[in-house]
Amino acid sequence: MPINLSHLKNTSLDVRADILTMINKAGSGHLAGPLSSTDLLVSLYFSNLFNFYPTDPKNPQRDRFVLSAGHLALALYSVLCRAGFFDEELLSGFSQLKSLLQGHVYHHVPGVEYSSGSLGQGLSVAAGMALADKKDRKKRFTIALTSDGEHNQGQVWEAAMFANKYSLSRLINIVDKNGIQIGGTTSQIMPLDDLASKYHEFGWQVYEINGHHFPTILRTLSYAKESKEKPVVIIANTVAAKGIPYMEANYKYHDIKDFDQEKFKKALSQLNKLSKFK
Amino acid sequence: MTSKITKKNYSMRSAFGKTLTRLASAHPNIYVVDIDLKDSLKLTDFAKRFKSRFIETGVSEQNAAAVAAGLALSGKTVFLTSYAAFSPSLNWGVIRQSICYNQAKVIIVGSHAGLMTDEQGATHQSLEDIALMRALPDIDVFSPADARQVKKILPTLIRGPRPAYLRLVRASAPNFTDPKSSFTIGKAQVLKRGTDLTIVGHGPILKNALLVQKDLKNISLEIINSPSIQPLDEKTILTSVKKTRHLITLEDHQVEGGLGEAIAPLLLKNPLNAKMKLLAVQDEFGQSAHDYEKLWDHYGLGIESLKTAIKELLK
Repeated sequence: MPINLSHLKNTSLDVRADILTMINKAGSGHLAGPLSSTDLLVSLYFSNLFNFYPTDPKNPQRDRFVLSAGHLALALYSVLCRAGFFDEELLSGFSQLKSLLQGHVYHHVPGVEYSSGSLGQGLSVAAGMALADKKDRKKRFTIALTSDGEHNQGQVWEAAMFANKYSLSRLINIVDKNGIQIGGTTSQIMPLDDLASKYHEFGWQVYEINGHHFPTILRTLSYAKESKEKPVVIIANTVAAKGIPYMEANYKYHDIKDFDQEKFKKALSQLNKLSKFK
Repeated sequence: MTSKITKKNYSMRSAFGKTLTRLASAHPNIYVVDIDLKDSLKLTDFAKRFKSRFIETGVSEQNAAAVAAGLALSGKTVFLTSYAAFSPSLNWGVIRQSICYNQAKVIIVGSHAGLMTDEQGATHQSLEDIALMRALPDIDVFSPADARQVKKILPTLIRGPRPAYLRLVRASAPNFTDPKSSFTIGKAQVLKRGTDLTIVGHGPILKNALLVQKDLKNISLEIINSPSIQPLDEKTILTSVKKTRHLITLEDHQVEGGLGEAIAPLLLKNPLNAKMKLLAVQDEFGQSAHDYEKLWDHYGLGIESLKTAIKELLK
């Protein structure tokens, strides 16, 4: 089935609008990361490169997606909803008392494999899953999404060594490298320097791409699935808060606590402008 | 019905390694995630016989706990093995999120708990593991009293639906639990019936309570082994204290967050007009020594300290 690029672009715009709407309704939420990772998630769930079953989320044939950076939940919730895992109604309750949609990603939500929020753990969990599949001779894939700030954690590098030791070739780590973290730019807080070289030295197959260019993302995902021995990292260079020009690349929009109606309208109108020029 | 203390010493770690290796033949889903301590946890044989199910992470407690969670979320029954001083402490946040919150059935085995670690000293003496694990939701916490009980606990943990923490000690020690008793989650065992004072404890140190009874002929002690610390057998403990009105808790662990502090609120909720004393390490680090009895004496947990505590409480 050929992938329709304008469908992906439109879906991304819809997802970004969902993110803004959920934050506006809740009054607060994480913004920059969900917006920077949107195109990556849409590429996964709206192409034929990732195998999932919206009406049977635990189907044993499914590929597994582990969101390690749990604060990107808003993007994943919207994508899962639009992929058919649950009704839109659920989105409107984001982060309210007794809502399934917890502020950080929650495994009781249909389609979510793993709850996270405390950074640095998901790549190890994904490695454990990929190892179980390898032992069971299952051919499915485990895909993790990590953030660049998350790579401050030593555990990520423990997982990198582990995945190499066990030749987890069906493990793919997509790094949303948006250049910011909660307290500043990643280069200010803890420079990652040449992340690609680091992963290369750790024995991984490395791709570094523009994380907003759909043809490149899709092509790279299909290359990644061809790995025979090495685990694969896709370092996706992205723009924090992508789609809302006045917020883009500014670490102060990592999360937002007073997303009032005025700011919401301004952000949405900038997104709509983007929509017109797609 | 007084339990007999064996003259011979038995290793909890050997009981663990041998029993798990035996059970692994019948349970193809059993995996070990080891943090470079396989000889110490007596898993060398498991590693040889079940090479494919023995996962070695190296000295990386955090990665190991999360890898274990990933395996468990894929249907495996996973034993995460290390020293209690490292796992669960270096990786507590990983156990909290990746194992407990995600409901990944991992059995965390922490060896070398308490003061019974020979020359190794404070860095290797975990006196806080029970406090760390008790504070978490959705995990059971067990501290068996002897090697005999370790053998009985493992099949229960394999069958159980939840993550669990299993506390082991380094040194060999006598068996003193009833060979015929079974192990049930949430159940304590009365080792000796009595009427004047209840002693509740966990781990090999509970042997001292049985020994003290021999010296105190005029005092009738009821001695309860509580290997299931979470969930706790409130009924057995409260029934005993209702009778004796005097309670001493005995454990090779910090007083903070241990078994004593798990039981104390029960006496507030159920006013029995009982007196209570908590015998445990009083907020200090351990140290090296080649005889754990001497360490217990030094930290106020030995036989003489127990005798004094009993007499003072009954005054």
